[in-house]
Amino acid sequence: MKVEEKSLEGKKFKSRKVLLGASIGIISIILAIIISNLICSLPIFINSDYCIVIGFWDRIVAGFLTTMWLYGWSLMFGFFLGLFLALLRQYGGSIFSQGATIYIEFIRGTPLIAQLFFIFYGLNIPIENWNILTEFTIFGKEITFVFLNHRILFGIMALSLNSAAYQAEYFRGAMMSVGTEQLLAAQSLGMSRVTAIRHVILPQALRRVIPAWSNEAAYLPKYTVVVSLIGTTELFGQAKTIVSNTFISLSTYIIVAIIFLVTIAIVSKGLDLLHKRTGIPGL
Amino acid sequence: MSEPVIRVVDLWKSYEDLEVLKGVSFELAEREVKVIFGPSGSGKSTLLRCINMLSPPEKGDIFLRGQKITEQGVNLNKVRTRLGMVFQHFNLFAHLRAIDNVSIGLRRVKGMNKDEAQAKAFEALNRVRMAQWVDHYPAQLSGGQQQRVGIARALAMEPDVILFDEPTSALDPELIGEVLQVMLDLAKTGTTMIVVTHELGFAKAVASEMIFLGEGTIIERGSPQHFFVSPKSEIVKKFLKQLEVLYGTHEELLKPPDKENY
Repeated sequence: MKVEEKSLEGKKFKSRKVLLGASIGIISIILAIIISNLICSLPIFINSDYCIVIGFWDRIVAGFLTTMWLYGWSLMFGFFLGLFLALLRQYGGSIFSQGATIYIEFIRGTPLIAQLFFIFYGLNIPIENWNILTEFTIFGKEITFVFLNHRILFGIMALSLNSAAYQAEYFRGAMMSVGTEQLLAAQSLGMSRVTAIRHVILPQALRRVIPAWSNEAAYLPKYTVVVSLIGTTELFGQAKTIVSNTFISLSTYIIVAIIFLVTIAIVSKGLDLLHKRTGIPGL
Repeated sequence: MSEPVIRVVDLWKSYEDLEVLKGVSFELAEREVKVIFGPSGSGKSTLLRCINMLSPPEKGDIFLRGQKITEQGVNLNKVRTRLGMVFQHFNLFAHLRAIDNVSIGLRRVKGMNKDEAQAKAFEALNRVRMAQWVDHYPAQLSGGQQQRVGIARALAMEPDVILFDEPTSALDPELIGEVLQVMLDLAKTGTTMIVVTHELGFAKAVASEMIFLGEGTIIERGSPQHFFVSPKSEIVKKFLKQLEVLYGTHEELLKPPDKENY
C-alpha cells in the first residue's frame, strides 16, 4: 500500500515559496529603484516632473514598505478574526450568531475613517511614546522604517477590525456552499460538530473562498491609504510630503497609482495560482 | 434469542405541520437485512435519520442493543459510530481521496494513528472492490464507485448496523449493479443492515423482512415471498405494479399503445 508521504514535503515547499516570493519582492524593489534612476539620469528626462518625484525614491520606498506592513498584518488579523466571526455566525447558535451579525453589520455600515478616528481619538490608550523603528541605508540614502508606534498600531487595529467583517461574509458564504450534507455525513461517522467543521467543512470552505476572498486582498492595500489621515507615513502619506516639497501632484500620484496597480496585480495573480494549486482534483 | 440490535418503539416525527412518521415500531435482529420501501414522502429517509438521531424523533424510543438512545444525556457521537450510514447522494468528503474518506472517521473519531487507520481503510475499500482507486478524489470517480467508497466509509467504522438511504436511486442504471453486488456480499457475510430501496431484486435475494411504509405508518410487513406472491393491501399491490412497470417487467409495457391516448 503506497499512499500519502506528499503532505510534509508540500509544507516545506510552501515555506520555501514564501521566502522565494519575499526575496523576489525585495529584488524587484531594488531593480525598480535602479532602473528608474538610470532612466532619469538620461539628459532628456532629467528635468521632467516624474524624475523630480523619483528623486524622492527613498520616501516612496519607505512609504511602500509601511503600506505593505499595514496591509500584511491587517489581512492576517482580519483573516483569523473574520474566520472566527464567520464560524460564530454560521454555527454559533442564536446568541453568538446574533452577536457576530451585529458586529459585521455595524462595521460594514459605518465608514472606515469613522472607525479609525474612533480608535485613534476616541479610545484613550496611552501608548504615544511607543516607537520601534529601524534605519537602513540603500544607495546612499537613509530610510527609516517604523515597525510599531501608536499610529501604526491603531491603523492596523482599525484595518483588521474592518477587514474581518468583510472577510467573515466571504467565509460564511463559502461555508454555506459546502452544504449541510457534508456535515451530516461527518456526524454520521460519529464526529462532533467541532471536529466535522474543522476537518470537513473548513478544508473545503477555505479552498472555495479564495476567488471571492481575493476581492478583500485587492481592496485592503487601497484602504491603508486612509491610515495616512492619522499621520502614518505610508505610501500616500509620503506622497503628500513629496507634493508639498515639489508642488508636483499629478506625477506623484500617478507613480503611487502605478505602485498600487502592480502590487495588487501581483497579489491577484498569486491568489489565482494558490487557487489552482489547492484545487481538488476532478472538480 | 439475544436482544435485537435495534428496537424502534412507536416513533413519531413531524416537520412543522407535516406529520412524517406516525408511530413506527420494529425490531432488527443480529445479521438481519431489513428492506424498507414505499412511495416517496412516506417517511423512509426520515425513519433512518431518526434512527441515527441526525433528526431526533419527537416521540417514541430507539434502543441500540438495549441502550435507549432517545434519552437525554446520551453521547450521540458515540452512538453514531455504531450506526453506519450510506447516503443517497454519497456525501463523500470532496477534498479527500477515497482512502482518506474512509480513514477520517477512524482517525478523528476512533483516534487511530494514520498508518493503522489507512490499513483498515484499505481493507474496507478492498471489500467494496475499490482497492485500485484509493488515491482518487470523489470527483474523479463514477457514481457507483463513489457509493462504494461511501459503503466502505461506513463499513470501516465496524458499526453494529449500516443504514442505507436509497443507495442506488441517484445512480445511472448501468452503475446500480456494482453497488447492489457489494451490498449483496455484505448481506451474505452477515452484516446487519436496514436498506431503504426500491430494488426488489435485492430485497428478494437477501431481505429477511420487508416493511412497506405509507404516509408514516407501516402498512404491511412480511417476507419477500409474501410481498411478491400475495400482498394484502391495495396500496401495496398498486405500488408493486408501478415498480414492475418502471423496471419493464410488467406485461402492460408490451401491449401495443392504446390508440385513444394519442
